[in-house]
Amino acid sequence: MTTSPFQVTSRLVKDVAIVYPRGYLNNLSGEYLVNECGRHAQAGLKKIVVNFHETDLINSIGISFLLNVMEDLQTAGGTLCFTEMKKVHLDTFEMLGLTKYFLFFPDEEAALTALDARKR
Amino acid sequence: MELRKALYNISALGDLGVETTSEKNFQEKLDSLLHVVLGTFLAGKGAIAYREKPASEISFVARKGFHDLSVGDIDLGPLLAAGRNRPYHPAGNEALAGAGVEVITPLWERNDFIGFVLLGKKFTAEPYTGEDLEMLGMIAHQIAITLKNHALFHHVTEQLEENRKLYEEMRRIYHDTLQAFAAAIDAKDLYTKHHSQRVAKYSVAIARELGWSEHDIEGIYVAGFLHDVGKLVISNEILNKKTPFTPDEMKEMRRHSLLSYKIISQIKFPWKDVEKIVKHHHERLDGTGYPDALSREDLSEGAKILTLADSFDAMTSERAYRKKMDVRKALAELKNCLHKQFDDRILLAFCKVLDKEIRGELPEPDILPHIERGSDLSVISALLEGLIEELSGDSREA
Repeated sequence: MTTSPFQVTSRLVKDVAIVYPRGYLNNLSGEYLVNECGRHAQAGLKKIVVNFHETDLINSIGISFLLNVMEDLQTAGGTLCFTEMKKVHLDTFEMLGLTKYFLFFPDEEAALTALDARKR
Repeated sequence: MELRKALYNISALGDLGVETTSEKNFQEKLDSLLHVVLGTFLAGKGAIAYREKPASEISFVARKGFHDLSVGDIDLGPLLAAGRNRPYHPAGNEALAGAGVEVITPLWERNDFIGFVLLGKKFTAEPYTGEDLEMLGMIAHQIAITLKNHALFHHVTEQLEENRKLYEEMRRIYHDTLQAFAAAIDAKDLYTKHHSQRVAKYSVAIARELGWSEHDIEGIYVAGFLHDVGKLVISNEILNKKTPFTPDEMKEMRRHSLLSYKIISQIKFPWKDVEKIVKHHHERLDGTGYPDALSREDLSEGAKILTLADSFDAMTSERAYRKKMDVRKALAELKNCLHKQFDDRILLAFCKVLDKEIRGELPEPDILPHIERGSDLSVISALLEGLIEELSGDSREA
């Protein structure tokens, strides 16, 4: 299996960090995602949106790292939102019973609106 | 939903296969395998413990969480008594319960217990199902095979290293034996102390200059050491005679190259033609040498190298019947005997290497240390330059 090099970037929208994993979330590079989210959490941001628009594959290793992100954020009392996740991945999360632990939105705007509404 | 779950499990087994066969280093492989397990069962904590050799201690080789847990705290008795690669819920183990271990799986490959896998509670807080444990058993077996393969590979690597050391030791002993042999040969003739060693070194220097491979260079080094081994059979009276040889004595003396050949033909060398190089070190290009009166085209490059190295050392060493020549005279003599006795390519290589040694271009000179102290190196260097120019012209014409 060929894998694209996995990269993670992020940007801030007010008090929300939007994180962009790019490539396949299927190997130890998933640690980058954990670190990037951890970096924002340490900076005091409690709302993180992960945009999966450019993530074509999430396997068992990737799910392990996403759980890691979630656990870390839960410990910090934060909220994790996923957007633009492919249907096949969404179905997997649903089957695994994980949809009740993460907030899923079709796009960033919807996630930001929902997070803003929660604040109020 | 059942179908999706089954597909996810199959996909996880696929992930496991990718990781077990990957070319990642062992630690990365273990970390990846642990993440496959954690992701498959949605476990927040997990660890893999492994014993590389049957006699060694088990230790954690990959873990997420369980950092306060020590392998020493775990009672291995129930683990060993459990089914091979069969996961179970540990009961009555305070250390495991305290650390939050929900499932433990002993790792077995054939009849070897090689470690275990620990898993903490699921992220969803749901209990591990019978199907989960069955799936974990399959995964555990794959992990056990991976660990066992690593242990075997490690063992083979260790064995290879041991063999390499053994080979080096044997090689050293072999060379020491050669040197002892050469010392025995040279000791018979009071005037040829260290002759074999010098001839070996000169031959190596020429062969290296000619671009020989290190393997072949080692062969000519051995030939240099042993070329006069036949002299052990020649009487001391003849070897150390101070007056010219009688025809019979000369005939006897000339037997030594054939005797050397016969003696070393009994040895199966890993290098090509050592015995032939030794046999022909008194042959001449014009066909008047001995024992076979071969001419230029029949002589190997190795024999031509050894001939020149032997002659140069003989000329520049004291003999019972004559004084030693200085290097300038010896070089002039080599040049005089070109085409009759010595090959121009070999003499060119010899001159080049000696010139480099004098200029300090070679960190470990082979010939220079044996040149008489007090020799005017600038004069020798000038002579060599002239010879090199002349011989280079000859080589081009040839």
